[in-house]
Amino acid sequence: MSDFFSDTVALSRIQFALTAIFHMLWPVLTTGMAIYLVIIEGLWLKTRNLDYYHHARFWSKLYVLNFGIGVASGLPMAFQFGLNWAPFSEAVGDFFGTVLGFEGTMAFMLEASFLGIMLFGWERVPPVIHFIATILVAFGANLSTFWILAANSWLQTPAGGVFVNGKFVVQDYFRAIANPFMVNSFLHMFFATLETSLFVIGGISAWYVINQRHPAFFGRSLKVVLALAIAIAPLQIFVGHLSAEQVYHYQPAKLAAMEALWETVPAGQPADWSLVALPNDQAERNNWEVKVPGLLSYLLEIKPALGNPIQGLKEWQPANRPHMVGLIYYSFRIMVAIGLFFAALMSVSVVQWLRGKLSPDAIAQQKWLLRGWILAAPLGYLAVETGWIVRCVGRQPWIVYGQMRTVESASHLPAGEVLFSLVGLTSMYLVFFTAALYFGSRIVRIGPNLELPAPAVVGQPKLDPAQHERDHRPAEAQQ
Amino acid sequence: MDPLQPLQQFLPQVWFFILGLFLFLYVLLDGFDLGVGILSLTASSEERRSILMTSLGNVWDANETWLVLMGGSLFGAFPLAYATILNALYLPAVIMVVGLILRAVSFEFRENAERKFIWNITFGLGSFLAALGQGFALGSVFEGIQVDAAGHFAGGIWDWLTWRSVLVALTLIQGYVLIGSTYLVLKTSGDLQKTHYKTATIATWTTLAGAVFITVTTPIFSEQARNLLFATPRIYIFGLIPILGILLVGLLLRSLKRQEENTPLIWTFLIFALSFIGLGFVIFPNIIPPSVTIYQAAASPSSLVFMLTFIGFLIPIVLSYNIYNYVVFRGKVVGDV
Repeated sequence: MSDFFSDTVALSRIQFALTAIFHMLWPVLTTGMAIYLVIIEGLWLKTRNLDYYHHARFWSKLYVLNFGIGVASGLPMAFQFGLNWAPFSEAVGDFFGTVLGFEGTMAFMLEASFLGIMLFGWERVPPVIHFIATILVAFGANLSTFWILAANSWLQTPAGGVFVNGKFVVQDYFRAIANPFMVNSFLHMFFATLETSLFVIGGISAWYVINQRHPAFFGRSLKVVLALAIAIAPLQIFVGHLSAEQVYHYQPAKLAAMEALWETVPAGQPADWSLVALPNDQAERNNWEVKVPGLLSYLLEIKPALGNPIQGLKEWQPANRPHMVGLIYYSFRIMVAIGLFFAALMSVSVVQWLRGKLSPDAIAQQKWLLRGWILAAPLGYLAVETGWIVRCVGRQPWIVYGQMRTVESASHLPAGEVLFSLVGLTSMYLVFFTAALYFGSRIVRIGPNLELPAPAVVGQPKLDPAQHERDHRPAEAQQ
Repeated sequence: MDPLQPLQQFLPQVWFFILGLFLFLYVLLDGFDLGVGILSLTASSEERRSILMTSLGNVWDANETWLVLMGGSLFGAFPLAYATILNALYLPAVIMVVGLILRAVSFEFRENAERKFIWNITFGLGSFLAALGQGFALGSVFEGIQVDAAGHFAGGIWDWLTWRSVLVALTLIQGYVLIGSTYLVLKTSGDLQKTHYKTATIATWTTLAGAVFITVTTPIFSEQARNLLFATPRIYIFGLIPILGILLVGLLLRSLKRQEENTPLIWTFLIFALSFIGLGFVIFPNIIPPSVTIYQAAASPSSLVFMLTFIGFLIPIVLSYNIYNYVVFRGKVVGDV
């Protein structure tokens, strides 16, 4: 252990991993929920049914709680490339920094600026302007997803330039942005944020219904969620499958780690799919495993026998392949299992909906279905985190795949300095995670304010700017 | 002469200006957020503190984002500077980030908490730490960062801590308190406003004292600054800045005495702008003072052009919707005080 505490690279890696894992928890909800808020507000404007307005107000409380922590935890993300990964920053800044600059200017600022109007502007701007603000918040958030995934995909499948003396020289920016992984990775993450948010909203709604608190009100949000999830859950499985195929073609060592496959399966043979295994990194084999015969060949090529060989981990020198095979292998399985569970839950729910079992009078009797939704609420987060672990731990030992090694990319800092920031940041993350859970559940326990009148500004002309109008926010904030 | 040479000079200069603009907007806008945060530590009641925080509720997030814009653009436009400066300023940067995190979460947690005491403290303390980290960072960039021939950081982990960086940090905190006070003068009324006329006046004097001390000691202790400042034609610019500064401070004090509502903030903005222009002239054409120039640290010209195409045309749009946000929420924040 003493080696670990004096190893700047290891400490920097841990700090990056923990910061990224902690940060991911918050925007995953806010980017997806923003789209839901757009839909809810659109429904309100269209139907003028006050329930939708109250939904918009209620869910934005959870939204802003998550948003605040997301902004806070995003700051160390923005700076730690320079702080802890200076050689990396210098080598790839021409492209990677450019993309982060785009994310800030195009996406993040848009989201942050219109958030104020979305949260506090109900009484201050006409409904149409408010609706536009909500749309821009959602657009900004998802544009962030795009740029971050473009940047990360470039680390996976670098394109659009060459490394000269260790420095990346861009030849074609558009090819670098539209690198091979970009489209699928963006779609996979876009659906992931949406799906996670939908199942959080659905799970909380189910909790209210099962506890007989405003069952009709929350039956409504459950149905909006369901209507969206019908499309998203199967699409996500499809995009996930396409992503795995791309990994097979572009990053075969990662695929081998995902499958804990040590020995190459030659062409013309069926490849088994491993269900459970105990991978042993030192011995370069699995201590034991349970396999489904021939399934992997079907998954990758829809054939009983392989057209192309699948390379095993032993094809690479230990220094050139990912380690922590068990982590990658199980993370991948957890993510896939959750994706399948979501699709199954969605299918059962749709069947019950079509049978009329989700009508306001009958919905509370669907106890097991509702419990399933409550169980599903936290699972999206787990799927997202495990997915990122597969993606980034599986990319090792490379920081830029095949081009630049992670160990060569860390800043030459004294280990004590990194340990200081690691301990400081991690303890804050723990405290804030606990506090967020506490306050989030408090918002849910208190529940929506169904007495809230519709915003007064509706149908009225805008206030005369010359009038020195008063700011009503303290009263509003307390509702 | 290489036909590309003017372009290779011009592009880093444009980016130096854009980054300066982002940093200036950050210091100005998050400056009053942090100032209000520091002032909240002295708020006499929970209601007052609520009003203080409410006055920031819709803007702090966008204001903080200017820093993210600055960080991202520095990474893209001057990768070497992004890496070297952050390496040199590791501890101040961590202090700043920790402070900003505390400040940000306090808004949301306090809103939902029944016992607000903890989050009041983290809000004020976070604002203070963020200002402190920024002050140290500013002070040590001003002082100079030790680098090797390739421009990589070659100093020690405590290089940023000198008596003069302490002085710069304290002065910056005073400046933030000043701008926070004048913002509150604009946004509040009644007794609360009166309190901040007072804090604004005190902070004007303390900021002035710090600024004068820094201005006088810089040429005494730094030979480089001496050579830079007293050479023509810069001497005329640097001669003009203190005169304009004293004039603006006079106008600020007068407006505070007359209990005007809008002008104190405007004069403070101008004082910040003037200091910032002065700072820009001291640092230019370096980006890692005292030895690495913007031309050495710049990304490739194609990279700078590509960034400029997309970010350049967005700047007016970004500014417009930020202004719109302030217009929507113009007026006083009121409550039971």
